[in-house]
Amino acid sequence: MILVENLVKSYHSTRVLHGVDHAQKSGEAVVLIGPSGCGKSTFLRCLNQLEIADAGRISIGGVTILGGRPPRTTAEKEQQRQLRLRAGMVFQSFNLFPHLTVLDNVATGPRIVKGMTAKDAEARARELLAKVGLENKADAYPGQLSGGQQQRVAIARALAMEPEVMLFDEPTSALDPELREEVLRVMRGLVEEGMTMIVVTHEMQFAREVADRVLFFDAGRIAEQGTPDQVFSNPQQERTREFLRRVPTR
Amino acid sequence: MSNPWRWARAASLVFGLLLTSGRCPVFATDTLADVQKRGVLLWGADAEGGAPYVFPDPQKPEQLIGFEYELAQALAVKLGVNARMVQNEWDQLIPGLERGNFDIILNGLELTAENRQRIAMSQPYFVYAQQIVTRSETAGLVRLGDLRGRAVGVLSSTVAQRLLERMGGSDLRIYPGNVESLRDLKAKRIDAVLMDLPIATHYARPDPSLRFSGAPFAPGYYGIGVRKEDVTLLAAINQALLELGQNETLERIYRKYGVWDERQEGLKDYRPETVVQRKPISTLREWPKYLPLLLRGAVVTVELSVLAMVLAVIAGLVIVLMRLYAIAPLRWLARAYVEIIRGTPLLIQLFLIYYGLPEIGIRLNPFLAGIVGLGLNYAASESENYRAGIQSIPRGQTEAAQALGMSRWQTLRHIVLPQALRVVIPPVTNDFIAMFKDSSIVSVITMVELTKVYGMLAMSTYDYIGLGLMTAAIYFALSYPASVFADHLERKLNYDPR
Ligand SMILES: Nc1ncnc2c1ncn2[C@@H]1O[C@H](COP(=O)(O)OP(=O)(O)OP(=O)(O)O)[C@@H](O)[C@H]1O
Ligand SMILES: [Mg+2]
Repeated sequence: MILVENLVKSYHSTRVLHGVDHAQKSGEAVVLIGPSGCGKSTFLRCLNQLEIADAGRISIGGVTILGGRPPRTTAEKEQQRQLRLRAGMVFQSFNLFPHLTVLDNVATGPRIVKGMTAKDAEARARELLAKVGLENKADAYPGQLSGGQQQRVAIARALAMEPEVMLFDEPTSALDPELREEVLRVMRGLVEEGMTMIVVTHEMQFAREVADRVLFFDAGRIAEQGTPDQVFSNPQQERTREFLRRVPTR
Repeated sequence: MSNPWRWARAASLVFGLLLTSGRCPVFATDTLADVQKRGVLLWGADAEGGAPYVFPDPQKPEQLIGFEYELAQALAVKLGVNARMVQNEWDQLIPGLERGNFDIILNGLELTAENRQRIAMSQPYFVYAQQIVTRSETAGLVRLGDLRGRAVGVLSSTVAQRLLERMGGSDLRIYPGNVESLRDLKAKRIDAVLMDLPIATHYARPDPSLRFSGAPFAPGYYGIGVRKEDVTLLAAINQALLELGQNETLERIYRKYGVWDERQEGLKDYRPETVVQRKPISTLREWPKYLPLLLRGAVVTVELSVLAMVLAVIAGLVIVLMRLYAIAPLRWLARAYVEIIRGTPLLIQLFLIYYGLPEIGIRLNPFLAGIVGLGLNYAASESENYRAGIQSIPRGQTEAAQALGMSRWQTLRHIVLPQALRVVIPPVTNDFIAMFKDSSIVSVITMVELTKVYGMLAMSTYDYIGLGLMTAAIYFALSYPASVFADHLERKLNYDPR
């Protein structure tokens, strides 16, 4: 499903990703942990092309893109769009469109990008809002919602594009603790449905419960990976042990 | 004889008048004694396009010359003092004198009953007449009556303008200067120019593409203006003029500038008609007569501002899209456009569009030139408003749209611009309201809009205050609804409850 080979990314002259390799099966839920600034966000952003990798190869659901430079030709741009359509992204800061209602936030993507009719897009959007428990907020504007509600809308918005992979970049970090659970509950639901996911998070409890595999990122590399039990209970690397000492895992 | 910078001073004029209000006894001291104590006679005139009266020497531009310049020197010698010219736009010379900016007006001021009601005037020093100037191939426009149905250029607030207004029936174009009207004559925008003979002699005679059409007519006198209370100064000036006429100094000066003719013999025959002191006009009391004239000007102001703003809003969008999203050369072009337009005066841009473009074959009528000039000028400012608006939208918005697979254009069209719109409404409204007022600048390209109507009416009624209040009220009545509407729009687009 996902195949990443030798992904390299630098900002100016500082290298942030040092040749990351990663393979992930369909339906597998992967949690990404690691200290601040180690390159987790950059990795996700490269996957859906918000950042262009300097080198390496990204392949999601059969669409492959080589790093090196931004797409120039129409064919390259179409390729990039196809990759993005296969990866849905949920941001730490929600990034809902404040000028659109909740319903339009979810329906706009399918309508504009996939050319779905307004009616179909809205019907689909209502289904998804029901799924994240917000069917009664369809006509509200994002500014009228709590953070937890906004993040659930953002998940529905990404799902509306029917991606093959969902990428979450610290989806609960901007939320008050009492609002996190409602978002995590939605994400657990997705895992149960067998959605392929990569989740960057500091919610170790959540990782333990739902992850098929945990990747520990350090200084732009995957330093260690394994089942939650292997990584949390029996870490092999000194860096992992140090990181886990500082972050409570239950 | 005037200069094009009138508009810029219109406001200061109104306030100046409010402060000194014409006839109050601020200048009760004897100005002649003042002049002699100072050793300097200050004379008001306009050297901008002022040949052959007073103008910068083409060979030595820091030195003024002209027949009135030399007359002022000779006059000062008679008074035993030095002469110093004070630059003042021509159609504001009388208010300038009343404000005390200078001691006398010596600048082709006609000895008319109207002028003599307002200020005291000396014996005449020059006999002028009106001359019709046409292109050399034009025939048949030899008398005033022939100008009916023709487009005729005149200098603002001259006898020529009054003659044509009184006659009616001609398409009158009012110019801020003499050079501009002759330029438009050659560019075939107008059929004829009616001007004082000395001006025609200087500017039109040497030009082979123009000709004097018919004989000069409607002779009149130029006199020196002083404030009414300066009786001793007036007497001294009359005495000096008499002596300069008798010892043929006047003739020598006039011959030197090619403006001497047999008509000047008539100077001796001048008998001032008695001036009946008219009651001051209150345009406020007689508003049914004046308000419609002002409103007609306001219609032009509205048409011009609205159309120019439509152009500005659209062109501004093109410019900002080029500047932010186009390939490099177009980006530089858009940037350069904004910088150049912002860095140069609107007045110069208008002059270039109206008087400059015909030289490369693009001939716009005044209305169109006004719209294009104002519109393209404001486009630069609108594009900057848009740029600020677009850049105020957080990066996360673009990223979220791209993550959904939207193209750059879709992101812009559906996500960024709609949000920027709300941010941009207040500054754009501000500009629109400013446009109402800025549009008065088009009077320099012969458009008669609200401020120009105000100026023309004020010049003939001298009721600057009453007309000023009416005009200000009209401008306010135009701009206030615009700002209410913008408030409403902004509230309607407000999706953020906080
Ligand atoms: N746009 C950018 N320009 C320059 N440097 C950047 C940029 N984005 C990220 N970086 C740097 O790249 C490194 C990796 O950043 P990244 O955001 O991927 O870290 P992270 O693992 O997500 O950290 P956190 O847990 O704090 O979110 C950091 O040192 C960061 O300062
Ligand atoms: Mg991060």
